[in-house]
Amino acid sequence: MKLGVFVSDFKLTTDTLDRLKADKLGIILVQNGVYHATTKENGKASSLLDKTPNLYALSEDIQIRGMKDGDVDKRVKVVNYGDVVDLIFNEYEKIAWL
Amino acid sequence: MGNLTIGCYPGLVGSMSYDFAMKLAEAAVDKGHKVSIWFSGNATGSVKANQKHLKDYSTGEKHLKDLLAKGVEICTCEACTVARGIKKDEGIPGVQWNAMHWFLAKVHAADRALLIGGE
Amino acid sequence: MSDVKLAFVVQKPQYKGETSRLAITHAISYQTVEILLEDGETVTPKLCFIGEGVLGLQKGQNAMDLYGITSTESHMKNTLLVDLDVLVCKEDLAKYGIPEDAMPTAEDMGADKSIQVVPFAEIQKAVEEAKHVFFF
Repeated sequence: MKLGVFVSDFKLTTDTLDRLKADKLGIILVQNGVYHATTKENGKASSLLDKTPNLYALSEDIQIRGMKDGDVDKRVKVVNYGDVVDLIFNEYEKIAWL
Repeated sequence: MGNLTIGCYPGLVGSMSYDFAMKLAEAAVDKGHKVSIWFSGNATGSVKANQKHLKDYSTGEKHLKDLLAKGVEICTCEACTVARGIKKDEGIPGVQWNAMHWFLAKVHAADRALLIGGE
Repeated sequence: MSDVKLAFVVQKPQYKGETSRLAITHAISYQTVEILLEDGETVTPKLCFIGEGVLGLQKGQNAMDLYGITSTESHMKNTLLVDLDVLVCKEDLAKYGIPEDAMPTAEDMGADKSIQVVPFAEIQKAVEEAKHVFFF
């Protein structure tokens, strides 16, 4: 199963994400989820970033919060809405908003 | 091209998840995909016509009219909508009113389906 | 002729928010979707409850008297009456100390199905088998 998951909150509500198994897991950080890519809590990057190498963050949602695309963790690819559409259709069989 | 169905439940005002759904729909239709949107829960409040766009609040009407003009099918849950005091003749023209099975029928035909639940 | 399998996964408790109830009512609507589909086309949802989503399913709810709304218990009985498969995570019931026999039944209303309390692995399987998955 190739599963793309949208994460829209900063709080680590990852119970479901921890339990779901996927052959390919993608995490698309949107809304307050982008803080996982930009913010270190007590100097430590979000553990969400360790879950998969397929990490994306929505540029519009980074910039609206006064941050820059360059502020994101190097493991995360910055994407726009058009890129998200391509991820949905080309990279993942199923998509979920957790 | 693909077929995307979006189920949108968050309210127009008070959650930017609604805005996300609109912008994703626009990006998908601009790339040539077929898009359907189903409103349920608080999102159904966004189908009322004559919304005043104050800059502190998101606007639904402009997004919806633009998407309808681009061929996006939009439907609101009739029960959820009338429960919020909105009558059919007060709705944005072009938005369909139906029951929950409309969403399931669109999902049946969809290549991808994204449900954005309420807060 | 095509059947589309869906997984509705409820992970939020009932009552505070509307979404977890809408999961149930949307799943139930599969019984009338055929009027919008071609002959032979069907939709088959599985309704799954995990995490905090197992809260608020117990028997003995009194929502109509207290708040004037249909209880989740009644909605759950209706899912069984329309022959939906309802899976509740065994580990999560145990985690919250909810006995399995606290789950509603609809035998008295003539339902053939009952709620299935299953390990999470069964719910993972339902998610894998589904064409689309919806989290509430």
